[in-house]
Amino acid sequence: MASSNSSPPEEDEVLVEEKLFARTLIFNRTRQLNALSYQMIIRMLELFRAYEKDSNVKLVIVKGKGRAFCAGGDVAAVVRDIKEGNWRLGADFFRKEFTLNYLIATYSKPQVSILNGIVMGGGAGVSIHGRFRVATENSVFAMPEAALGLFPDVGASYFLSRLPGFFGEYVGLTGSRLDGAEMLACGLATHFVPSARLSLLEEALYKVDSSDPAIVSEIIDKYSQKPHLKAKSAHLRLDVIDKCFSRRTVEDIISSLEREAANRRDDWISATIQTLKKASPMSLKISLRSIREGRLQGVGQCLVREYRMVCHVLQGEVSKDFVEGCRAILVDKDRNPKWEPSKLEYISDRMVDRYFSKVDDEDWEELKLPARSYLPGYAISKL
Amino acid sequence: MDRVSRRTRVLTNHLIGPPPETLLAANPCLNYSPPELSEPSEFDPKAMRSLLDAHNLQQRDWLFGLLIQSPLFNPRTAAGKVFVSPDYNQSMQQQREMTMKRITYLLDRGVFHGWLTEKGPEAEMRKFAFFEVIGIYDHSLAVKLGVHFFLWGGAIQFFGTKRHHDKWLRDTENYAIKGCFAMSELGHGSNVRGIETVTTYDKNTGEFVISTPCESAQKYWIGGAANHATHTIVFSQLNINGSNQGVHAFIAQIRDADGNVCPDIRIADCGHKIGLNGVDNGRIWFDNVRIPRENLLNSVADVSLDGQYLSSIKDPDQRFAAFLAPLTSGRVTISVSAIYSSKISLAIAIRYALTRRAFSLTPNGPEVLLLDYPSHQRRLLPLLAKTYAMSFAANYLKEIYVKRTPESNKTIHVVSSAFKATLTWHNMRTLQECREACGGQGLKTENRVGHMKAEYDVQSTFEGDNNVLMQQVSKALLAEYIAVQKKNKPFKGLGLEHMNGAHPVIPSQLTSSTLGSSQFQMDAFCLRERDLLNRFSMEVSQHQKHGQSKEHAFILSYQLAEDLGRAFSDRAILQTFLDAEATIPDVFGKLRSMYALICLEEEAAFLRYGYLSMENAAAIRKEVTKLCSELRPHALALVSSFGIPDAFLSPIAFNWIDSNSWSSTQH
Repeated sequence: MASSNSSPPEEDEVLVEEKLFARTLIFNRTRQLNALSYQMIIRMLELFRAYEKDSNVKLVIVKGKGRAFCAGGDVAAVVRDIKEGNWRLGADFFRKEFTLNYLIATYSKPQVSILNGIVMGGGAGVSIHGRFRVATENSVFAMPEAALGLFPDVGASYFLSRLPGFFGEYVGLTGSRLDGAEMLACGLATHFVPSARLSLLEEALYKVDSSDPAIVSEIIDKYSQKPHLKAKSAHLRLDVIDKCFSRRTVEDIISSLEREAANRRDDWISATIQTLKKASPMSLKISLRSIREGRLQGVGQCLVREYRMVCHVLQGEVSKDFVEGCRAILVDKDRNPKWEPSKLEYISDRMVDRYFSKVDDEDWEELKLPARSYLPGYAISKL
Repeated sequence: MDRVSRRTRVLTNHLIGPPPETLLAANPCLNYSPPELSEPSEFDPKAMRSLLDAHNLQQRDWLFGLLIQSPLFNPRTAAGKVFVSPDYNQSMQQQREMTMKRITYLLDRGVFHGWLTEKGPEAEMRKFAFFEVIGIYDHSLAVKLGVHFFLWGGAIQFFGTKRHHDKWLRDTENYAIKGCFAMSELGHGSNVRGIETVTTYDKNTGEFVISTPCESAQKYWIGGAANHATHTIVFSQLNINGSNQGVHAFIAQIRDADGNVCPDIRIADCGHKIGLNGVDNGRIWFDNVRIPRENLLNSVADVSLDGQYLSSIKDPDQRFAAFLAPLTSGRVTISVSAIYSSKISLAIAIRYALTRRAFSLTPNGPEVLLLDYPSHQRRLLPLLAKTYAMSFAANYLKEIYVKRTPESNKTIHVVSSAFKATLTWHNMRTLQECREACGGQGLKTENRVGHMKAEYDVQSTFEGDNNVLMQQVSKALLAEYIAVQKKNKPFKGLGLEHMNGAHPVIPSQLTSSTLGSSQFQMDAFCLRERDLLNRFSMEVSQHQKHGQSKEHAFILSYQLAEDLGRAFSDRAILQTFLDAEATIPDVFGKLRSMYALICLEEEAAFLRYGYLSMENAAAIRKEVTKLCSELRPHALALVSSFGIPDAFLSPIAFNWIDSNSWSSTQH
């Protein structure tokens, strides 16, 4: 298994609390900022499946212990597997994780995720697809994969592409951090509740004896408030973001940002350009294309495609940036990755195409998502 | 009470999911079940889409995304899904302004980059791909762009010389100027040679003087003229020293940069139309408008400073033919857009027919899905097969157009005329059938199908009336026929080579496997074309023998001319389908057979002239029913393969119960 090399968990990594009709799942892996281990994913799958059948459960609350909701998937373990020549173990990790994402996206009962802290990568995957996402003043959201040599996965090509204008391309390519107010403004969060009121909110949610989203929403509304966007918020720069991040290619995006920067001195624009230039060129290319394709696909199709992509990343035939990115950011922490290909212009369309094709391996299979009897309209698309 | 409880029982039978004992209590209502759950696909719709769209798939998807993401394209949410479509409830003037704003948005995103300044098949195909995507969103937006880029821009490219290209093309691409194309007049539409606008040359000032001598000479239906255009191409008779040199094209400015109408120009609005109200069609009068000598588009003919008429083409007929070149590109884009329109309406009607039920076969049985009725299959699936066939025909037309050479001009002219007429007629028929197949829901503007009838009706008229175009096809075929007889050479080109071979024979007993063979299908189509061409030429020469002029003889033989035009078109379409088929799965053979057999069944000429016997016709009719049931399981995958994003379909194509729920009205 993906993290089979790590020491066995001393206590449950997912705690469960049962209160009347509500079940609260609490990520409990605080030292790793609640990064999702393989065991946690398996446990979550079991719990979600059981609760769907259990008519005594009307509502699922998900939160994290400590200062993180969940900082992502346990990529360190996956990279260890790759280095030991076991990319298929990593693929198995993602298959389970994406299946969980799909289950959440098509879940028949409301899920309330309390995002009181860090929400990154895999953490977004187990919350944003759910019905209600409650942000607080402690929320920090990011999809930082492009800087790691990966790409925004866990169904991000579905939810990022549905943000207003081209904000999703911005968030996905730059890995920019959003606070709770920004999450609410762009729609990643459905509510903003000050952390001081969270325990009251949870108490109120325990008493809900209905799965009607309208009723649940009304309760959360009572504890919500309208936060102020900070003056330097990226969300106030939507005009520039739409103008530049709507361009057809990564190169076009960067050059249109550079044109903007030439017209006026603007720290935010130059910082954005710097971030893009530091990220893995291959990651930027496949991330952009993934988000663009996601815009026209249902969540299931997005996950199937992302699974193909992630297997190519793990296989490392076109680029080994994922291993290099993890080395530079997570292991050696020198923050100086050596990307290969090193520049956007060295990447041909055919190289990008490879990531979207079937994996050429006898044992490899496409991601097979479970058939769901209840599927909301927006979860389905044709192609 | 009995009726009520019976009705409840019937309805509960439709429920999917909950265990039977809770049925009555839980939810005595109809449930929407997404067709994806019950209709597995036996082929990969993505692969099929790449065959249908054929080129620039990623760029198309980028542009789809660009439209979905901007509030300018009027996104609305229904049952959790976003749909984009213009607000047709806006006034005509508002719709026109929105069209212009959308153009500006696309311009700023670089969509039009290279549309006029880049050359070569690759650039042209990309331009076509973008144009098709835009047309899927809104016909007005496409037409307004088409006028600016293909007609105004095309006229400068084709009729102009370097000085015009340098001066106008970049400014056109950047919308520094806005062009229109003044060809039609109140008194003359398809007969361009008869237009009455007159231009003379004043050698004292070195200027041309354009005038509208009478009311019937006012320019009419000029897209862009009513509100936005700053410049126009003017088609006019050129009168030099009292002698008429025929129709020529000039550039005239009609508005200044602030949008004020120029002196000696009068402009009036064509007013509200049955569709395309996002396009500002106008009328123009020229009161001795003076333009510089350089504004004559002089690739074909020129006037020297001292007023001498100079032309490399001496024959006025040929000179005139050269002027119609930009209309060819119009016919190409119209043909293609007609097919995309059919695809939209079929995707909507078929998705609806896979989720909507009506009537039970047994007293307590579940109601039957619309598409499970053989009659509903017969209404929609042959149109689906035709749309597939014509999709390949449209791709073929695009291909020969972008690879055009002086030698291929005739083929392009004949094929584009035939396809433009056939494909746009097919589209109108498809829209009407799909509208009816959606029942009352088809009448809602938000569901697109019904509204598109009004938006696309114009296609059978602009860029050449369909009937006139089909006559031109027959005329061209007759000319070819006469030339072959005179020179005693075999037929070459226009796909007429089959005329050189032996007369095909249709077997008297048609088995299912014969009916499905491409050999038989092609034989039947060729037989019809061959015989009609023979008959047509015979009838025309008979009339001529009785003293009629060639022109009049042609008019008298209109019935055969129409039959022949259709025969040519159908055969050419079948050929493109067969060429595409080499690469594709099994379902393709069924579609092709459906296309061929439905033509055999519907076209009266096969029985009228005895190409098929009554027994043949009965066998074909039976086979069509069989093909309907064989295509039925593929229906969803076949429309999914059109690659039209959900946002460009409509609420009834998805969860139409949720999108019509009470809560959806409470915002």
